[in-house]
Amino acid sequence: MSGLWPVQALTSYHLTRRCFRQERSVTQVKKYIALRFVYIIFVFLIISLLMFMLYNQIPTDPARMELEPVRRELKPAEYQELYLRLREQLGLDDPLLMRYGRWMGILPEKNGSWNGLLQGNFGYSNFYKKPVIDVIPEPMFNTVFINIFATIMALGITIPLGIRTAVKKNTRFDGTVQVISVVGYSVPVFIISLVFIYFFAVIFRIFPVMGMKTPGTNYTGLRFVVDRLYYLALPLIVLTFASLGGMTRYVRAAMIESLSMDYVRTARAKGLREKTVIYSHAWRNALLPVITVVIGWFIGIFSGSVIIENTFSLNGMGKLYIDGLNNLDYELVLAMQMFYTIISLVGILITDLSYGLVDPRVRVNK
Amino acid sequence: MKKLVALLLTAMMLLGVVGMSAETAVHPVGGEIIYGSSTEISGDWSHGAIWTNNATDNMIRGLMNDYDTIVFNDGGALVVNDSTAESVTWEDNEDGTKTFTVKIAEDLVFNDGTPITAQHYLASLLLFNHPTLITLGSKSTGYLTYVGGDAYKTGEATAFSGARLIDEYTYSLTVVEEKLPYFYDLSYASLSPLSINMWLGSTYSVADDGEGAYIVGDMAVGTLAFKIAEARFLSEGRVTAGPYNLVSYDKGAKQAVLEINPLYKGKFDGQKPSVQKIIVVKAEDATQFDALKTGEINLISALTGGDDVNAALDIVAGGGFDTVTFERAGYGKLMFQCDFGPTQFLNVRHAIAHLLDRPEFANTFTGGYGGVVHGPYGLAMWMYQDGEEELSERLNTYPYSLEDAVKLLEEDGWVLGEDGQPWVSGLRYKEVTEEEAGEYKHNITVGDKVLMPLIIEWSSSEGNTVSELLVTMLAENPDVASAGFEIRQNIMTFAELLNYMYRDKSVGEQYGVPTYGMYNLASNFNPIYDQSYSWTLDPELVEQGYNVNFLFDEQLDKLSMDMVYGVNADDPDTYLKIWIDYIVRWNELLPEVPLYSNIYYTIFFDKLHGYAQNPYWGFENAIVYSWIE
Repeated sequence: MSGLWPVQALTSYHLTRRCFRQERSVTQVKKYIALRFVYIIFVFLIISLLMFMLYNQIPTDPARMELEPVRRELKPAEYQELYLRLREQLGLDDPLLMRYGRWMGILPEKNGSWNGLLQGNFGYSNFYKKPVIDVIPEPMFNTVFINIFATIMALGITIPLGIRTAVKKNTRFDGTVQVISVVGYSVPVFIISLVFIYFFAVIFRIFPVMGMKTPGTNYTGLRFVVDRLYYLALPLIVLTFASLGGMTRYVRAAMIESLSMDYVRTARAKGLREKTVIYSHAWRNALLPVITVVIGWFIGIFSGSVIIENTFSLNGMGKLYIDGLNNLDYELVLAMQMFYTIISLVGILITDLSYGLVDPRVRVNK
Repeated sequence: MKKLVALLLTAMMLLGVVGMSAETAVHPVGGEIIYGSSTEISGDWSHGAIWTNNATDNMIRGLMNDYDTIVFNDGGALVVNDSTAESVTWEDNEDGTKTFTVKIAEDLVFNDGTPITAQHYLASLLLFNHPTLITLGSKSTGYLTYVGGDAYKTGEATAFSGARLIDEYTYSLTVVEEKLPYFYDLSYASLSPLSINMWLGSTYSVADDGEGAYIVGDMAVGTLAFKIAEARFLSEGRVTAGPYNLVSYDKGAKQAVLEINPLYKGKFDGQKPSVQKIIVVKAEDATQFDALKTGEINLISALTGGDDVNAALDIVAGGGFDTVTFERAGYGKLMFQCDFGPTQFLNVRHAIAHLLDRPEFANTFTGGYGGVVHGPYGLAMWMYQDGEEELSERLNTYPYSLEDAVKLLEEDGWVLGEDGQPWVSGLRYKEVTEEEAGEYKHNITVGDKVLMPLIIEWSSSEGNTVSELLVTMLAENPDVASAGFEIRQNIMTFAELLNYMYRDKSVGEQYGVPTYGMYNLASNFNPIYDQSYSWTLDPELVEQGYNVNFLFDEQLDKLSMDMVYGVNADDPDTYLKIWIDYIVRWNELLPEVPLYSNIYYTIFFDKLHGYAQNPYWGFENAIVYSWIE
């Protein structure tokens, strides 16, 4: 027995026990994360193998496809020479598993070097004729630039709007927002884009129709940002408008459920201010279902919007992906898919961990 | 009298030239134009399609590089570039080879002021065909044209014996015997200068010790890989020789800016550009006309199809815009494979042509902005224009006629029904020999007879509007059924269509089996109209993918070869005669049914003047003759 007072001793015991529990909890979380990472690696390898096999099962000859446009300009000997050379360069004559091994970096190249995905080589774009790693940065930068603004704008509008419509449930305000959000949710983004272009770019000439910068300029610094934002304003407005409906309705539904709970009634009965009831009690509890979608949105900042990018002539990831598929540029597409696989798997892990942060009831099992 | 007329004509031509020069001189340099491109810029600026073959890249390359010694004029004819070549001479050698000697002008400079010598011309041939560059993905096949190319390309020889550096401003090229005679052989004399400093470095040069030209310097892959990749994509400070300099390229926004090269000597006729700045941006189909109206782009080239052309014409009617129109050098077509099934029979192919109202098809598909051709030619070709009268007499137009189709089928023996009795209605059958029957999957046996049904298996690519119209106007045409045909559409990706068309067993055994007798595709023609090997009888070449129609006709093969390999370059009359015979023979055999040939529209703001475009004279050439007011 130590020389401490019994209460102090008891407190110390509880503190030690809590610390021990916390330590155990941290260890468990670390173990859980480590296990999830092993799972991520395993799933990644399985998906990579499946995707590689899938693309290579498509009955096409990339060498022939590449030479098709210039076929008439080549004599038979020239064609055959080029064709065979291309097949060799593309490694089309090797067995599929060997090609996978080389692509992944678990088998050496013909010259004995190790140069695959695991070594940081994302492959070679057969369409752009340069390494994939040199093709992706600009579209990725543009996509992230657009999506960060679009996500912040959309969340900044939809969360307060969703909360307000839930609080003002069945009022005229709620009804109006419901109708607008259903329209925004239902109308294809392509149509929204064209309507917005017609009014804001062609009729009122507020924004440009397309492109990413003032033609012929080479702005830097703040002027670059301002010019870029001016050109991206309309696509951002369209993206935000198109995403308003879904998120607003999602937040509204979560809030309505939360507001009907007993703890909200209790909080009101205690005489708490309505704002405190809504934001500290109801909203925090409504966050759990919403957070999955919100994290999904932030993970989605790496994914481009095919329709928006094509309509506004933006050089982004969605367009690059579709172009890659159309051009049968499989190494480019595979690299992008592997990137998105990693992002998705890590995103799921972050979502799972965030549940624990938001809701104390959700914890890693002992 | 003739002399007087000739004198007058000469005087008028001289006045015209003087007038043209005076007209060129009065256009002030200035203004800018924003070119809305339908394809995206890739940023690969290497000479020609060495690595990539993107249409917009090619256009920009054409604006930056125009010092070839032989070029095409606005009629698609090969001409000596008088601005760069002081003389081009040739000599037939005893061993069957031919040597072209080119003396270049001594006052040529790159856009950075560096003098251009014969070394720079030879450098393009020597570099892109060097084993190192081949390893780095160069698609150049120039080594096949000149003596010693094979040994040079494989690295057996360090010097290219058929390429000689005669003196500082003279080079020669010796063409291999197998490529001669050739109607377009002047193209063999052409090279384009390349900045050795930009591509390789200041320590490199081209030399000739009497055995052939070669590059002096370390050509190891490890040494050059980075330098070559850098030179391909270099935008700012790019060393070129053409009417325009690339000022900047924004990889993120995919925009290229070009400005006049003040050191440019002029095109083959001395013409220099007046439009100061060209900005190339990507335009999207859905919004390009809105962008045109708001001034975000000023020119859209080669619009086609009723919707786009009508939209363009509406904008023109609103004021502020002009258009130029030109006919496509090519056509959309139904292609037959003629070695199996019903399409192996000439009368069946003719009957299909009679059952498709081609003028109506062309009118519907092009929205009234197109027409019909009756052979493998474009209306803008000089051969067609010179031989139009004769062709109109000799070509069968295959007018729409159910009666003619039925008559042809009956003459060919398609007179039986499924039971082997005389045909009354439904699907027609024909008694065929074992050889004719082949492995065609629809054949049936009645008694000891093998009957082939009139089923046409048609391969069409997905998402294709031509296919959709063909379904309506051909496959589901009641006259086709009443004639005894059944046309079955099989939709697939374009890549798969090509597999079947080439019978490419390397991607699947099923593709090696003749399956589809009919395909719908399109063809375009280059200024060099060379159809050689397209109808080859050589099984090896057929195996490689030549003669995809599998039509083995000695006369057609001979005509296609003689047209280019049996005529000297200075004998256009013989060429034209063979060309007409070729078109007529093709029209008789009908390996393809031409469906439509578009009329293209280019729309631009009306501040641009003097803009004249045609299939052989694209934006990169036409803009040099234009000015902005």
